[in-house]
Amino acid sequence: MKAEILILLIKILLLVLVIVFGSIAYSMIYRRWRTKRLQLIESTFAKICSLYLYPAPNEESNLIEIQRELKAVGIVPSKPRNVQYLIDLMIRTQRSILGNNYTKLKKLFTQIPPYGASASKLTSSKWYIKARGIREIYEMDQSQYTRDLIKLRNDDNIYVRREAQIGIVIFLGWKSLRFLPYLKRQMTLWQQIKIVEKLNDLYPIPDLNHLRRAYNSDRPYANELIMRIIRKFHLTEDIAYIIQFIDNPKFEIREAAIYCISSFSLSAEQLREIKEKFYHISNTEQQLMLLKYIQRISMDIDLPFYKDLLYNGSDIIKLSTADILWNNGYKEEVQEYYYHQYTQKADSESISV
Amino acid sequence: MVILVEIDLYYYIFWILNYFFLLYGLCLIALYFFAIILSTRSVNRNKRKARFLQVNDIVSATDIPSITLIAPAFNESKTIVENVKSLLALQYPYYELIIVNDGSTDNTLQLLIDKYDLESFDSTFITQPIPTSTVNKIYRSRKLQFKQLTVIDKNNGGKSDANNAGINFAATELVLCTDADCIIEQDALLKMVRPYLEEFNQEIVACGAAIGIINDSIVKNGVVEKLRLPDSLIPMIQVVEYIRAFLLGRMAWSEINGVMLVSGAFGLYARNRVIEVNGFNIHTVGEDLELGIRLRKHMEEIKVPHKMVYLPETLCWTEAPNNIDVLIKQRDRWARGLWETMTLHKDLFFNRKYRDMGLFYYPYWMVFELGAPIVEFLGLLSLIVFTMLGLINWNVAILLFTSIYLLGCIFSTISIFIYVKNFKHYNTGKEVIELLLAAYLEPFLYHPILVLGQIQGYYKKIFGVKSGWGNMDRKGFKTLPKERL
Repeated sequence: MKAEILILLIKILLLVLVIVFGSIAYSMIYRRWRTKRLQLIESTFAKICSLYLYPAPNEESNLIEIQRELKAVGIVPSKPRNVQYLIDLMIRTQRSILGNNYTKLKKLFTQIPPYGASASKLTSSKWYIKARGIREIYEMDQSQYTRDLIKLRNDDNIYVRREAQIGIVIFLGWKSLRFLPYLKRQMTLWQQIKIVEKLNDLYPIPDLNHLRRAYNSDRPYANELIMRIIRKFHLTEDIAYIIQFIDNPKFEIREAAIYCISSFSLSAEQLREIKEKFYHISNTEQQLMLLKYIQRISMDIDLPFYKDLLYNGSDIIKLSTADILWNNGYKEEVQEYYYHQYTQKADSESISV
Repeated sequence: MVILVEIDLYYYIFWILNYFFLLYGLCLIALYFFAIILSTRSVNRNKRKARFLQVNDIVSATDIPSITLIAPAFNESKTIVENVKSLLALQYPYYELIIVNDGSTDNTLQLLIDKYDLESFDSTFITQPIPTSTVNKIYRSRKLQFKQLTVIDKNNGGKSDANNAGINFAATELVLCTDADCIIEQDALLKMVRPYLEEFNQEIVACGAAIGIINDSIVKNGVVEKLRLPDSLIPMIQVVEYIRAFLLGRMAWSEINGVMLVSGAFGLYARNRVIEVNGFNIHTVGEDLELGIRLRKHMEEIKVPHKMVYLPETLCWTEAPNNIDVLIKQRDRWARGLWETMTLHKDLFFNRKYRDMGLFYYPYWMVFELGAPIVEFLGLLSLIVFTMLGLINWNVAILLFTSIYLLGCIFSTISIFIYVKNFKHYNTGKEVIELLLAAYLEPFLYHPILVLGQIQGYYKKIFGVKSGWGNMDRKGFKTLPKERL
């Protein structure tokens, strides 16, 4: 390799190094400047909100003055990051205020810039801008865009469709169950959690008609979602829906079913059904969880059931069953089992000898 | 005539080795550049995703997966009380803490019993899906504020065995394995659980996050009160090394679903999957990598689409070796762990059955992780031999060294740049300059020690020299004076 080439390479590398140094320095200086700018926007916004909510006596809020103040701190269309920060501040403020002031603030936000910023994001080609727009729409309670959100419920991007689905639940409540159990794509655990939470927070009285119609969906995520709703709203009359999934072939559905059923007490008939299904569960850990649940909700110890497990279950189930029996006063049964094991072992050893 | 043939042969070997080192170096440089692109994408993507799933949303949610944090402790009396305090202070709604006292010979257990008012429970019938050394007693606190704390006292069986005992006892969907001497960020679990909540067509089998170095920082009530750069050079360089490894290396792998290693100091696993593969392997000191590979192999075998992910944020802080002896011991152990794991799973090498893992990820680890110290050592040997034979053109060699050195500096500087741009841990000019200086001194003062440690580890494996974990003397964290607590 020629020395000249290497010298050129060293020069190029030094130049790259200097550029990276410069980037670090720029990044640090910019961050400081940006922090100051954001603090200025925040304090201006706080002043505007407080004067609007609690004006001085005989003094009306001057909207033109407010707009000028915002423009002075950089809230202009050519600076989208500043505008975005203002929107975030608006959402944060609206979240923390209730009652009359909430309505007043909502009115103020429609009168000051940015105008229609969130809705315009729905047409963006970038997923994170689109998803952000949807979030802003539902956080700012702009229900006039519900139709747009419904269109996005099956979007290719997980974040866009997730935000759209949450928005649909917020605006339509239980009626949203007309769409949600029939989506084209799988739903994540977080989507399910958010939907259940939003229903619980905003529509606490369950609309069983819409819910029960959704029972027809055979999509796994819909089964999980409905089970979570039944659990959250403590719909004891719909426990049968959960019980049918206890021994489902799919691990995740079984997991959700066992988790959801754990919040309920069961009738003798339901308990019998659960015990029957117990044997069809292929995963020992899930069997263990169910066993603990059965023990917790049972009034009495079902000795034949436990003895059957003690003699025929897997090693882990046997040990847990022994634990349950031992701690519930059936020490003799446990001792008898271990004695039986011991004699069986001794017999087999003597035969082999 | 014979002399001429010999000189020709040396020349021949010289050129072959030259081209080998050049090719190896070029591949490595290309991979690093590729890693920079991937990790930048990955960090940006993570930041964008995080906006839609904020910790405040998760903390108030009800159906999120429950987590058990498992921390093995062996002779940790200096730091155990402070660290348990830190682990108990984590924010997560459904969270249990299991400390596994792995047969400590000091007063670790007694300190825990006294401080947390523990009482023992009957452990006759505890289920052990993964076999471990004998569990002697299980302790729980009488105090309500420590109700999520369980202490398992077992016979010594090593870190993996202790982790397995904790996994057996846990009753949650996820288990987070950490070290009792780690300080975990308060919202770490809320952040770590994100991938499990968001994934829908692939199962997350493990999740890791960046680990930072906390030497000479101030810890108050088990929380990092003031993060400082270490005073001495060895841990300072390790700060840069960790930033580079986690930000460039693991984030890049995460972007292409190529993560095989989730650090043993801080890794979140799906408990059912860990049990299916029979937990950590107690016969290797590289148990974290070994478990990662075994988990991925298992998922490939049962044909379940899966992912191992990394988060770019530093969520766990640990004390790094403060002197050369301890550092060499640590790297010796890591090298042995790597050797053992690679040997154990050699069937993966270009095995199409395991798809990308067999064709790319495992061969990468074999050639560039396991192979790098060997190649470096060979390079050094050849340099000495060819110098003695007078075959080295020193003008070119010095220029080549300078180029390689500058390339290394560029990679480290870019890592520091990505870190400074995205995270606020080290954000003063002084700290950044110190980090850069440490990065530029690393090839001269630190890297040779690493290679020495690694070669020592390989030597022990090749020649069957018995060696265990080795001890790491801890200084303990700086805590604020009592009147300020």
